[in-house]
Amino acid sequence: MRILAPAWLIARKDLRLELRTRDIVTSVGLFALLVVVAASFAFPTWGRGREGVAAGVLWIAFLFAGLLGIGRSFAIEKEESCIDGLLLSPAGPEAIFLGKLLATLVFTLGVELVTLPVFVVLLQLSPGAGTAVLILAALLGTFGLATVGTLFAAMAVNTKTREVILPLLVLPIAVPLLIASVEATAAALGGRSLGSAQPWLLVMAAYDALFLMVGLSTFRHVTEA
Amino acid sequence: MATRAKPKAPLLPLEIARTGPDAIAPPSTRRRVLGWVTVGAFLVLGWAAFFLAPQDDVQGAPQRIFYIHVPSAWIGFLAFFVVFVASLRFLRTRDLRLDALAVSSAEIGLLFTTGVLVTGPLWARPIWGVFWSWDPRLTSFLVLWLIYLSYLAMRQYVPDPMRRARFSAVLGIVGFADVPVVYLSVRWWRALHPDQVVFVSGGPRMPTEMVVALVIGIAAFTLFYLYLLTVRLRVRRLRDALEEEA
Amino acid sequence: MRAPVDAAIRLEGVTKVYEGRRALDAVDLDVAQGEYVAVMGGNGAGKTTLLRVIAGLATPTRGAVSIAGVPVDRAGPGLRSLLGYVGHDTMLYGDLTARENLLFHARLFGLPDPERAVADAAADVAHALDRTVRVLSRGTKQRVALARAFIHQPRIVLLDEPYTGLDEDASETLSTNLASLASDGRTIVVALHEVARAVSGPERIVALDRGRIALDRSTAAADDIESAYRELLRTGANR
Repeated sequence: MRILAPAWLIARKDLRLELRTRDIVTSVGLFALLVVVAASFAFPTWGRGREGVAAGVLWIAFLFAGLLGIGRSFAIEKEESCIDGLLLSPAGPEAIFLGKLLATLVFTLGVELVTLPVFVVLLQLSPGAGTAVLILAALLGTFGLATVGTLFAAMAVNTKTREVILPLLVLPIAVPLLIASVEATAAALGGRSLGSAQPWLLVMAAYDALFLMVGLSTFRHVTEA
Repeated sequence: MATRAKPKAPLLPLEIARTGPDAIAPPSTRRRVLGWVTVGAFLVLGWAAFFLAPQDDVQGAPQRIFYIHVPSAWIGFLAFFVVFVASLRFLRTRDLRLDALAVSSAEIGLLFTTGVLVTGPLWARPIWGVFWSWDPRLTSFLVLWLIYLSYLAMRQYVPDPMRRARFSAVLGIVGFADVPVVYLSVRWWRALHPDQVVFVSGGPRMPTEMVVALVIGIAAFTLFYLYLLTVRLRVRRLRDALEEEA
Repeated sequence: MRAPVDAAIRLEGVTKVYEGRRALDAVDLDVAQGEYVAVMGGNGAGKTTLLRVIAGLATPTRGAVSIAGVPVDRAGPGLRSLLGYVGHDTMLYGDLTARENLLFHARLFGLPDPERAVADAAADVAHALDRTVRVLSRGTKQRVALARAFIHQPRIVLLDEPYTGLDEDASETLSTNLASLASDGRTIVVALHEVARAVSGPERIVALDRGRIALDRSTAAADDIESAYRELLRTGANR
């Protein structure tokens, strides 16, 4: 496919940059960790039903940390007009969208896969059979976040207040994703198997597919000047 | 039309004031008529809501707010649909008039959606004792309200008109695609965590008079929406004319 | 006055408005294949906007831009491969090395032998290739930026004040390179400040004033142009 190869090139470039500077992963990772620890003090994360609270805290942390990361990713492209370099290449806006999306996915998942075990230990949770669902939920939820986030971050970086407006744009749109992610994660943390989480995973998959399509088709209108 | 025509000698603000806004955006008889028909429709609605429709046996008098609440919700949704269609067409044609239509519809939609969020709790409190329960439909309107707000807020941060229009169009499309997903997920979510209180509108079978009153309400509100839209577009055109030659 | 259908670059009635300011005002311009054009004008005259509109980085508010007969807003990857653009910003990632930056662009353009292309394009900065772009001097950075623009051997080259930041030596190299590209049949449009550079090399000067073309002459009569241009700047300054 004509967009996969350039998208992968762009994603690889982002990953190479990130490995060099560890810019995004440290700030995003630290932020997620701080939110999770602070929430452990602020919310009732003990006793029965703490899976629900834990799931909520996790996703709030991932959401804001993820947005931080995406915002940074586009701020880097804005420096020295690197985004123009991408737009002038044969890659095309769809490939750029997909490339940034993939890179964001990798960064954010990386942070999540570290934050999750830490949180599970802190709150004495035992997902057991639900571990696979936990990872699947993280994957699908983060994909959705990365999709909508990439689209809006490209807009936000071109506004007067830069990335500040990003959460404002993403949050209302991400409500269904948030609901589904938290429900699926709560079920997984409680050790329940695929059954109860399944409808939510389907919602997330549908959300991801829908907004991937919308993102791919509208991204070029965002990058035009 | 007046928007695209550029007068040979641009009118100065003083000239506009002297010749009157009518030179830029002429008053239209149609708009005046629409305005008066709307007033009429609301009078009819008032009569229908209080005299035609019977009092609800279960909920009593407060139930009548239903005749404002439901039409407001309908307009809140219709307005967003208009934003969606205008956004799609804008991206294809790049005609800024479509952007003006979209933002005007969004502003009015916000107004009516606020109405939904106000009348909902007002209705709920006397009957069910709480202002808010996470009723799926009302909650979906809360999210719609937030999307409207983010749409209008975002526009404040993008000074260039073309770019602002493009970004708004994308947001309009994304937002509209999101609404059904929001409704479904909130519905399932509330099904999982049921509240003691569930709002119900009308009984299992609404008496005909209630249906008639509701239909009148929807008609009246639709006329009101159209009237507000034409007025808003006119004001916008005037303001743009002033800014263009400034 | 219209160039043949295969005009390399054509602007028809192009207007570009930024927040109420007309950066370009109903510009009609034809650049033939192989022409070497210098675009001049004072600050804010519209040089950068003109180049960005041709490159497709900016969309005209009104009017049409086409490259080799194809409308720019419908440009596919093939058309983009024809263009090389050098802007005010380097389009280089500060935290990657010069080599990594160039390799990235070479691969993005689908070049069959990226490493070789990088070596060829960056011959004059070979010593700096493995240093991070952030630590390079302004002049070296600019030379790497030029290498980035030329790496895919574009047929149409757009340069926005490329001599900025270059020392005498590097400027001469650039001038020579552009001249050889021109004799190679490539189309070159370069925005310039100095009249001296405009008359030695380019065969045509187009001067902009407040978004409109105020001057469009061949450089054959050099003195004539110089005084005409200075006059233009003078009347512009007095406004």
